[in-house]
Order: sequence, then structure tokens, then C-alpha cells
Amino acid sequence: MTHLELENLIGEYVEGQLPAVRRAEIETHLAGCADCQFMADDVRRAFELCHAAEPLEPPPWLVPKILRATLGERVPSLRQRLADWFRPVLQPRVAYGIAMAVFSLSMIMNVAGINLRQVRRGDLNPATWVGQANRNGHLLLGRVEKYCYDLKVVYEFQSRLQRLRAQPTETPRPVAPAGGSTYGAPADEGLLASAGNLNAPVLAGLYAQAAGWKRSARSTNP
Amino acid sequence: MEQEAQLVVRCLGGEESAWEELLQAHARKIYNLCYRFTGRASEAEDLTQEVFIKVFQMLTTYDAVQGAFSTWLNRVARNHLVDHYRRTHKDRLTSSLEEQTGGLEDKPSADEHPIARLESQERHEVLQSALNRLSPDMREAVVLRDFQDLDYDEIAEVLGVPEGTVKSRINRGRLELARVIKRMEGVKGGTGPGL
Repeated sequence: MTHLELENLIGEYVEGQLPAVRRAEIETHLAGCADCQFMADDVRRAFELCHAAEPLEPPPWLVPKILRATLGERVPSLRQRLADWFRPVLQPRVAYGIAMAVFSLSMIMNVAGINLRQVRRGDLNPATWVGQANRNGHLLLGRVEKYCYDLKVVYEFQSRLQRLRAQPTETPRPVAPAGGSTYGAPADEGLLASAGNLNAPVLAGLYAQAAGWKRSARSTNP
Repeated sequence: MEQEAQLVVRCLGGEESAWEELLQAHARKIYNLCYRFTGRASEAEDLTQEVFIKVFQMLTTYDAVQGAFSTWLNRVARNHLVDHYRRTHKDRLTSSLEEQTGGLEDKPSADEHPIARLESQERHEVLQSALNRLSPDMREAVVLRDFQDLDYDEIAEVLGVPEGTVKSRINRGRLELARVIKRMEGVKGGTGPGL
């Protein structure tokens, strides 16, 4: 192979596009010719440099500019206009803000007792919202207080009943002093039987106390 | 290939979206071709636009039987670039190397190390400067082959010369490119600090 022949084939050799026979011929020549080896290295380097170069991105406005230059100013379709209008709204940050606002509004409306299925004109007045929210708040507070009082009564009942049950059923009867007060006299057997193991006056006292608590609870909860 | 021919037919039928698709598909390649040929971003942008305007006007002359749309597009672009080169040849001779490389676009990526980016930019500038120093014949052959990845027969079709001539131009272009780069690196190394 001559130098000229090699020079004509060196590009394809560097690209790896030559058949094995031609390739072997070139390699034999290169092994014995320092000048051609030098040239082959240069070509390879240039080839590698060109292929290592990253493709450039055209500026983003170029394609729209060419479109305008070729097709003219285009009237955006309704869909495109809607998409343009909603584009900023669909940003995650804005969408999150809107979701939070809707959530807060629904909370306020819920507290204000406004039924979204039957919204009246008066419901749209913020003064109504405040009034309703105030009323509902007080009602809720009253319910909570009543519940607490009821719990207290039930607890009191239970604790007293437990105490009574814990007492021995056959207590030694005090002997009545002759001709003196009836205090400590033996109780009526029928009443004791109807009250089970409980003492009737104690129970009556408990009921009276519970009724008193309820009255006081009602008086505090209008 | 078939799909692009269909796009051209749709485009000729007045379908604007088809033209937009064609443009989106080829804008990057044509921009790169123009950039590699001129070495200036602003000039490449103008040339890309001019090429596509020309393509839009000449679309009726495209014949799918005679070859792929991309080959035809490359030929139109190449002719336009050669015309442009002839028009601006005198200006180009007086322009300095700094001006030629001044418009280079740096596309830094967020995760690239600053030193690596600087090295990449330097390589890019050296390569583009070396390309600018090649004769237009050699430059277009090298650009079409090594940057646009066209086959030899496609380049021959685009340039309108035999395949042997294409190979010869590419070989000589690469050799010249390597020599220019070596010379530029030698100059840089010689004038660098501490050398």
C-alpha cells in the first residue's frame, strides 16, 4: 500500500468501516511508516474530538419564532387559551394554596352550620357565619359541660352503690332503749326486702342529689 | 422516512401542525449545522430561521421518490450556508478569532463541576475555532460527517460531488483540523503561565 492510498482510506480506517483485509494492509503499513502513523494519530484525534462534542440546543424561542415567520401570528384555539389561563394555577405551589383555602373555607362553613346543598342568600353574609359559628360553639360547649356533669352523676351512683354492696347484709341491730327515742329501732322488714340490700333513705338521698346536679347543670346550660 | 413524507403531504395540504412537527424534528440538527458552519450563535439562529423559511417556500419541490426529506433539507441548508458564506466572506476575513468564538453558547448543567465545565468549554472553543479555519469545502464535509452523522453517499448527494471526493475532503479536513488544533494548543501552552 502506498502513502497516497493510505491517506485516502485513513478516514474509513479510523471510523472502523474498512473490511478486515484492507484494515490489515493499513496496519502493516502503519507499523513500518512513522509519518503515516503520525498522520493516523492526528486524524483519529480530530475524529474523536468531533464526536465528543455535545450537540447544541437551539434557544427555546427559535422554533416559535420560525413558526411565526412561516405561518404568521396564529390565533390560539379555545383549548390553548384555557390551557394558558390554567397553566399558572396548575403549578404545585398554587394548587396547594388553593387546596388549603378550600379546606379552610369548608371548615368555616361546617362550623357555621351552612348546608352546601341548600345554600340560602342569607348564608352568604359573613355576619351570619359569625353568628352561627358563635351559636354552634356555645351549643357545643353546653353539650360538653352536660356530658361531664352526667358522667359525674353516674360515677357518684356507681361508687355509692359499690360502697353499699360492700357493706355486710346482716348488721347487728342496736337495741332500742326502753321508752326512749325510736332512733336505731329495727327497720321495716318489707321495705328492706323491696330495696334488696340497699338502704331506702340512702337511695332517696342519692336520687335527690342527682336531681339537684341535673338542675344545676340545666341552669348553667341555657 | 415514510412518516416524514406523510408529514410533508399533510403540510402541503395546509395542516399547520404537520409543519410544526417537521420543524420540531429538524430544528436542532439544522441549528447545529449552521452553528458548526459559522461558529456564531446569533448567526446560526438567523441562518436556521432563513433555512426553514426557504424550506417552507420550497416544500412543493420536494419529491419523496428522489430521497429522504432529511437529505433534501440538508441540501437546502447547505446551499443556503454556502450562499451566506460567499456573501459574508469579506467580513469574515477581517473578523478576529475572539469575535468568532465570542458568541459560543455555554450550556452549563447544574450537576457539572465548574472545572470540568471550563475544560469542556475550552475544548469546544478550540474545536470551533479550528473548524472556522478550514476551507468551506472541507468544513462542510467534516461537519456533515462528524457532527451531523450523515453517510458518505448522503453527503455526496447533499454536496453534489462524487463519493470519492467526499471521502477525500473529509480526510483532508480531519487532517487539517488536527493540525490546527495542535498548533492552537501549542500556542496556548507556549504563552501559558509558568511555561
